[in-house]
Parts: sequence; C-alpha cells; structure tokens
Amino acid sequence: MSLTAAELMQALPDVDDGDAALQTLPAVLKESSLRPVPVGRWRRMTLLSSLQAKIAAAYLFHWVRGWFKSADENSRLLAETHWRTAARVLDSMGYLRGAVMKMGQTLANFPDIAPREFVETLEKLHFDAPPMHWSLLREMVFNELGDDPENIFAEFDKQAFAAASLGQVHRARLKTGEEVAVKIQYPGIARTIGEDFRNLFLFMLPNRLGREWQNVREQFDDLRLRLEQETDYLLEAANLQQARSLFRDEDGIIVPRVYPQYSTARVLTMELVGGVHLDQFLARQPSQDERNEAATKMVRGWYRLMYAGRMLYNDFHPGNFLFLDDGRLGLIDFGYILPLDDELWELFRIMDRSLTTGLREDRITAMKAWSGLTDDTSDQMRLYEAFAEWTWCSRDADGPYDFGVEADFRRGVDLFTEMLRKRYSRGHRTTPTIARGNFGWRSLLYRLKAKLEIRPLAESEILATGWDRSDYARPISK
Amino acid sequence: MRVTAEAKESTRRKILDAAQGLFQTTGFEATTTRDIAKAAGIATGTLFNYFPTKEAIVTTLVVDSHARPTRRLANEQHESLEEALFAHAAAGLRLLKPYRKYLTPVLDTAMSPMVEAQRDDVGQSLRTDHLERVVELARQQGLDAALTPVALQMYWTLYLGVLSFWTNDKSPKQEDTLALLDQSLAMFVSWLRGGEEKSN
Repeated sequence: MSLTAAELMQALPDVDDGDAALQTLPAVLKESSLRPVPVGRWRRMTLLSSLQAKIAAAYLFHWVRGWFKSADENSRLLAETHWRTAARVLDSMGYLRGAVMKMGQTLANFPDIAPREFVETLEKLHFDAPPMHWSLLREMVFNELGDDPENIFAEFDKQAFAAASLGQVHRARLKTGEEVAVKIQYPGIARTIGEDFRNLFLFMLPNRLGREWQNVREQFDDLRLRLEQETDYLLEAANLQQARSLFRDEDGIIVPRVYPQYSTARVLTMELVGGVHLDQFLARQPSQDERNEAATKMVRGWYRLMYAGRMLYNDFHPGNFLFLDDGRLGLIDFGYILPLDDELWELFRIMDRSLTTGLREDRITAMKAWSGLTDDTSDQMRLYEAFAEWTWCSRDADGPYDFGVEADFRRGVDLFTEMLRKRYSRGHRTTPTIARGNFGWRSLLYRLKAKLEIRPLAESEILATGWDRSDYARPISK
Repeated sequence: MRVTAEAKESTRRKILDAAQGLFQTTGFEATTTRDIAKAAGIATGTLFNYFPTKEAIVTTLVVDSHARPTRRLANEQHESLEEALFAHAAAGLRLLKPYRKYLTPVLDTAMSPMVEAQRDDVGQSLRTDHLERVVELARQQGLDAALTPVALQMYWTLYLGVLSFWTNDKSPKQEDTLALLDQSLAMFVSWLRGGEEKSN
C-alpha cells in the first residue's frame, strides 16, 4: 500500500501562502522520490550501515537544536533545510524510506495545508525492508511454520499485494478454503534497525544539551517502542484477537480473524478482508448517508476498542480502513495499539466529565490532571484547552456535527501544528500518540465530509466502562 | 565376500548413527571416538579401520546427507539467479541442519576452499556437486559465461562464510543466516552481472 511518487506529489497541497520553504517542499520531495530507487538489495542493505546513522545523527542534532529556539525566528531559516535534509536522509536510509511515504499519507489527510515543520515525521515512521523473493519467503515460512508454503496453503500468491512494516503481505488460501492475508517479515531486520538506533543514540551522546537531550531520549523511546510493537506479530495477533472479540455482526465492523496455527513472531496469517481504501470509496461519490454510515462505524469502532477493550487505536492513516461493498468497515492494522493501563484509564475517566458536559471549567480540570500543569493562564494550558475543545466539541453537541466544515478543520490543524511546533504535546508520556490519534480520526471524518451525531454513539459505547456518571451525564433526547 | 561387504556397511552405518546421536546429545567437542565406538558396540580400534578421525565421521555424515535426493530442485522456475541460488543454498542448509552445530571441522577441512590442495575426495564431491548445480542455474539465467573459475571460487567462499556464520548463529530460528545468505547472493549476482556487462 505504499504510495507511488506520483501519488505522493498529488497529495501535496497547492502552495499559495507565500511561504518560501513550503514552495520548495514539492520540489524537494520530487527530487527525492524521482531519484532511482536502489535496485540491488545489496545496495539497500549496505545503507543499514552506521555511516548512514551518523549522517542522520548530524541532521537530527541540527534539528533538535531548532526545537527550542523560537519558531518565528527559526522557521523560515530552518524549514527548507528540514525538508530537504530530512527527505534526503530518509531517502538514503533504505528502511526509513517509507517515512517519506508516510509524510505523503499524512499530507493526504490534510488536503488544505502542509505541516510547517518536520517535527512529527520521526513519530510517524513506517519501517521498510528490502523486498523478499520467493525463495527467501519460502525459507521464512519453512523456518517459522515448519513446512513449505505450498504444503501449508492450498494456494499462495508469490507476488506481494501490500507492504507491511518491515515486510510484505501475500494473498493465500488455506487448505480448509479460507482466503487469507499472510504478512511476512524480513528476517532479522527488526533487530538490525533496533541496533542502528542504539548506535545512533550513542553517537549523539557527546552532543547532549540538557533539557533538549530529554526530548531526544523521548523521541528515541517512542521510536523504539513503536518498532518493537510493530514488528512483534504475536503481539499484533493478540491485539487482533482481543479487538475481534469486541464486535458483533450487527456492528458492521470487521476485524480480521487470526489463524494462530499459521502465525509466529515473523509470520502473521489472518482473514483476507475485501473492500477498497478511502480514496476509492470517495471516488465512487458516495451519498451523504453512505459517508455518514462509514464515519459512524469508524467512530463506533474507535469507541468500542477504547471503552470495552481499553485499547486505544491511534494509527488513523487511510490504508488501515477498508470499505466493503456491503457497507461494512474493515479495521485491519493492529500493529500499534496503546493499551489503557490503570493510570490512563483513570485519566480517561476524569476526562469523561469534560467530554460529556462540554464545560470549559471541566476541560481545564481534565487538562490539569492530564498534564500536571497548575497555571491556568499559561500559554501551554491555553493551547491544550483550545485543542481539547476542538477535539471534543462534537461530542457534547445535540444533533449532527458537520465534520466537513473547512474552517473548523483548519482551526484544528493550526492548533495541532502549534502544539507540535512548541513541543507542547509532551505533557504526558502518551500525549503525542493520543493527540495524533484524536487528530487522525477528525481528519478522516473531514475527508468523508461526515455529518454525525456523536453523543448517542459515545453514550451507548461508554456503558461498557461501568463508570458512575450519574452526576454529570445527560439523557439522550429522542 | 558379499556378506563381508554388507557387514562392513552395517558397521559403518552403526558408527555414523551412534556418532550422530552423540553429537546431538553431548556435542561434537565433548564426544570422543571411544564414546562413539562404545555406543556403536565395537572396539575403538575397529572404528579407526573405518574413520581415521572424528572429523572424518562428521564429514561423511555431511556428505551422505547431500547424497540423498532433494525434492523440487530439478525443474523449478526462478525469476532471477539470486532467487535460484538462494533456493539451492537454502536446500543445502536444510540438509545440513542436523549437523549445524558441529559443522566447523567440516568447513575447516573437507569443504575448505583449500580442499584441492588436500585432494580430499569426500569433500571434493560435495563441492563439485554443489557448484555444478550453480553453473546449471546460471546457464538457465543466461549468466554462465560470467561464471569463471574465479567467480565460482568466490561463490564457494561466500557460501562457506554463510555456513560458518550459521554454525554459530544465535538469532531466533537462525533468521540472521537467511538475511546474510540473501544479501551475500544479491551481492554476488550483482558483481557477476557487472562482470558480464563489461565483457559484453
């Protein structure tokens, strides 16, 4: 599901706001994406060497210093260098190439604006592996499942139909007849990259700069966690199974079935879900009702996972959703789920009051609990509160909320970008992830131009928590 | 005489089976020829009539494993030489799997690139068989002209390097060996193609 260079270019916004750096962005990406893709796998693998890590480190160092200067004085100077260098570095680190694609996906979600800084790119990494030929695939299957694919499966398509984190996905049919998607990871690469990051981290040690260092550490920890989660197919299988158990036929939401007997840490066999991606769905010019229906399922799925499963789904990139002909929605990627542990669960409970009442004072209380900030008047609190208000305002509205209003969406984009630029997203260890998730689902609903009444949906899903909400919950008026 | 030949073969087999069992349970280093003879139910002196050293026993086990016919090698279609070579080498790894941990003495002796100097017939056949298949695969891909003796020697050295890495590979299910083999073959084939372009 990687984007081609042409699709990536299409996803870029038209530049008309006079920002010189933004104007160079399409050219930079074009330059990067048109450079010949390293054809020989050997060349790509040599790119895993520490030399590349050093180049990346040099860049990161430069970049990190920029975070703590004032954005205004800095942005014009750095933005162009950021994009250019980042695109180049990512392009040169074979397995990080997908991050450039990921930028494209992010931009595809924001049709009207490009992020001003490169800040979130590393947080949105998608890891690439060299392609695997059939002989290697067969050995991987043999190693992992104990027999050749032709003996295990009735059919196995030698051509991959999608890219996965550090691997690829193949269609196959089980001997019992079920159509499946088999995700296979390139051998050893997760550990190789893990080691590269450790080297990168060590390389940066001499450049330690007090407070900035802490942020670098956090970036690395985020990356490492994400890498570990995305490459552990057993964990993803467990997530899929847990998520699947939360839905009933009448929900119209499909989480693919896992076939544990054909799954290991490096091979994941799951039910093949049909359907099309968001772009194709929209290209059919679905009616408002159809778009609302799809959006409802998206939101219901998100709430169900959150409230009944204590699983926070954060990866709202469009490739993770499949729109089936019969109206059902497929949720297919469970590689990166934030489990809501007791601490987070308690914070979610505290936030629920504010979500439900929509009152500013409740929002500030919730934001204080979340961030540990005490000063109501600080710029950081102002921004948190404003972003929370934007994120949540649809929740307490009576009647349908129009998610397709451009000015409203743009307000959110500006707030989100401001948070990223000021590095204010770091109030709580999970804030960047959660803010991205919140922003992600709003972006998808914006693209769907959905008009949706969220409150009844939320109220019905939140029952699963068993929380006592009697002193603030309002009845749903028919 | 016929009976004697059969008895000899039977004793040889007993020694090999006993050795394989002990190597797997006790390890190559810790196993002595005396242990092997005892497990095979023969005198230690008799063992030496069959195999001069413990290393010779391992080598024979390895060579014997290669003598068994392998499935699907003959007519399989491959999209590229690297894919074909990978399948060939991986089939070899599967055969060698039971001997993985005590392969080092075989690599040092029978399979060593210096084997020609030693005129070791056992190792020679193993190498020749493997390389003949490599040449055939290259011919199928139209690259046999590039496969000079030097190129073959280089291939064999790479292959032994992968085997050597494999004997001590501590990664889960020895997955790193697969990656190393993949990358080594990709490098070899790209080098081969480079040579081919120049000679054209």
